[in-house]
Amino acid sequence: MKKGFSFNDFLKNNVAWVILALISLIFTFLNPRFLTIRNLTTVLDQNAYLVVAACGIVLIQMSGNLDISIGYQMSIIGVIVGTLLLKTALPVFLICIIGIVIGIAMAVLNCWLAERLKLSWLIVSLATQNIFLGISYLFSGSKTMNGFPQGYLDIGQTYIGKAVPLAVIIAAVCFIIMNFVLSKTYFGRYIYALGGNEEATRLAGINVRLMKYMIAIIAGFFVGLSTLMLTSRMGTAQSGIGPGTEFTVITAVFLGGVSIRGGEGKLSGVLAGVLLLGVLTNGMQLAGIDTYWQSICKGALMIGAIAFDVYQLNRRQKVKKEEIAKMEESALAAEKEKENK
Amino acid sequence: MKTILELKGLSKFYHGVIALDKVSCSFGEGEIHALIGENGAGKSTLIKSVSGAIQFDEGSIVINGKEFTSMTPDQALDAGVAVIYQEFCLVPSMNVAENIFIGQQVGSKYLADIPQMHQKAQEIFEKLGAKIDTHAMVNTLSTAQQQLVEIAKAVSRNAKVLFMDEPSATLAMQEVQAMFGIMRTLKEQGVTIIYVSHRLDEIFEICDRVTVMRDGKYVSTSDIKDITRQQLINAMVGRQLDSACPPRNAKIGDVALEVKDLMGNGDYNIDLAVHHGEVLGIAGLVGSGRSEFAKVLYGAVPKDGGHIYVEGKEVEINSPSQAIELGIGLIPEDRKTEGILLEYPIDWNISLMILKKLSNHMVINMQAVKETVEKYFKRMRIKAPSTQNLVKSLSGGNQQKVVVAKTLAAETKIIIFDEPTRGIDVGAKQEIYQLMNELVEEGNAIIMISSDMEEVLGMSDRIVVFHEGTVAGELEKKDFSQANVMSLASGL
Repeated sequence: MKKGFSFNDFLKNNVAWVILALISLIFTFLNPRFLTIRNLTTVLDQNAYLVVAACGIVLIQMSGNLDISIGYQMSIIGVIVGTLLLKTALPVFLICIIGIVIGIAMAVLNCWLAERLKLSWLIVSLATQNIFLGISYLFSGSKTMNGFPQGYLDIGQTYIGKAVPLAVIIAAVCFIIMNFVLSKTYFGRYIYALGGNEEATRLAGINVRLMKYMIAIIAGFFVGLSTLMLTSRMGTAQSGIGPGTEFTVITAVFLGGVSIRGGEGKLSGVLAGVLLLGVLTNGMQLAGIDTYWQSICKGALMIGAIAFDVYQLNRRQKVKKEEIAKMEESALAAEKEKENK
Repeated sequence: MKTILELKGLSKFYHGVIALDKVSCSFGEGEIHALIGENGAGKSTLIKSVSGAIQFDEGSIVINGKEFTSMTPDQALDAGVAVIYQEFCLVPSMNVAENIFIGQQVGSKYLADIPQMHQKAQEIFEKLGAKIDTHAMVNTLSTAQQQLVEIAKAVSRNAKVLFMDEPSATLAMQEVQAMFGIMRTLKEQGVTIIYVSHRLDEIFEICDRVTVMRDGKYVSTSDIKDITRQQLINAMVGRQLDSACPPRNAKIGDVALEVKDLMGNGDYNIDLAVHHGEVLGIAGLVGSGRSEFAKVLYGAVPKDGGHIYVEGKEVEINSPSQAIELGIGLIPEDRKTEGILLEYPIDWNISLMILKKLSNHMVINMQAVKETVEKYFKRMRIKAPSTQNLVKSLSGGNQQKVVVAKTLAAETKIIIFDEPTRGIDVGAKQEIYQLMNELVEEGNAIIMISSDMEEVLGMSDRIVVFHEGTVAGELEKKDFSQANVMSLASGL
């Protein structure tokens, strides 16, 4: 079969990058300030925590699940870490670890419930998000916490070499590691397999349950880290910080080409998805478009991404019939040749 | 015989590929007419064209004297064409009568007359000579009963031409006989049945005439009494084929695997053994616990008790990975849901079970994977342009070869084939048989679960027959016969 350049394949694999380029172009025309190193650095800095969260969420989605309680997990982590920072004398480093461990614990809880009750992760997280939110408010008493120690604020506010934010470097490291895991390790391959066909994966001798817990642990880790980056960057913590993030991240993951059915997509696409949403927000702010319109645009983009995914699926099914016919033909021709000899 | 359905030069193209190539043939009133051909021969396209599920591109269809140059599902139904697909079109959460009359009005214009509906449904079943509770929910029915509901649905719409697409594939032997009874009743009532099946014995048993298709073309139509099995096979594949099950030259050695008193997944008291170089056939009715046994043996479902011995040593198998480590492999019954990752390329599938082994500190050794994949891709003679092709683009037979390649790549020595050739065409079937022969000739042991009588009798060295979750008996080669297997399977 010829493997020529297919515009459609290129689009399928890079749709988020293509839209990102287009939108950047438009914003540059609308406001020349958009395309400055300073502004672009700001965009990266603002969205670094989303990239980190996406590194974890993408695993859940690739394995065919959906967790919508992420934002509420972040809310809990934020206020607990904030409280510990203000009320105890524990070292900042230890508090950060506690925050990450809480993230892992909540993700594992979701996974455990889904496994035990044989429910989808989506339904479980629909319930647990309320629980998490309630706990978060009980903990914070609806108060806003300020005045964190400098050691903590450094995570989100340091610039390396006075130009590159530390957060961007953390995000880059997370991205590179997870990209490697997904494309080069057997664990990564198994995640794709799990999303493609769970039963076949199980019968292939792969410990599917262990895989799910591993995915939960990794996702929880990244959500925890992401929360630390967010609250230290903002220098404040309250229960309202976090909720909503899940939709941004899930939209970004879809935009990045990860299928609704799981098992497909690349992390680089997800990165483009996050940046796309970030650029959209930033560009619209610069262009003076109000936040409600931004929300409408994000929703429309998500529908667009899903529609494109479905369109691709239908198209592939058509291609499939063609391919079968072609292959049977070529197989027959080969056999006839043999007979003639 | 009066012609009820005639096709005149029917053609269908899919993006320039010919799926139906000027097919002209006719079907008589009140006959059971077999339509056979390998997968991809165009049978399904033909059915879909006649029933209006797809639009044909050229030619015309004459039903009961009326000519159609295009067809919609409505027109087809009105003309008396009904199709029973392999996958039923029933609503599981509705009862039998509701399913039969779905889309039809019983009663006044606005209100459905429920009692009348049940009465009418009852009448249809009486006419068919079948008994079934019309109040039962469809999801509580067996496959055979659901099929009956499909037939009743067709009858309720006064079907004159009834297509049945591989109706026996999911039925047990007894149920197939019951279905034949109903087919004969319908025939007496003047209904034409066009019967698609891969099982030749059934065609010789029930059909009056047979039409063969190949590569989208019409090949021949003949009276069943004027044709032999071999002639039919040759017409289908367009070349000489050896006998259904090729001979082998394997030496039967020591016991490879033995099971004593095995319990679990609904089965109990299972005792059996398979030797190196041997194909142990497992026969039985659908639901007799054969696949359930395979799942327990493979560790996919926990066992409740009993002992498993591999090479004479007692072993514990609690997960598929443990089974694989012990050299036990499973080719599952349902390829699509249990065997393969349809959306992924061939190489991903073949390497799935060995990735961990071919990794160094979690990082996959791509070169080693590629070599192994190539080796088994060639060995299985998978017909695909490259190992990068998606599995779902392959035909059923080639998909099955991918499943086998995956299992063999894990270097399994005791291989359970659960329905190894279900739904695959004659050519691919032969290749699977040939491969099974090669495997036992190399000293491997095979446990083959099959509902295909020809396959069980032809391929096995010994046959164990299951009945209601346990072993009903064992047959040595000299006692092989359809009657013996049947009587054990029915618990006689």
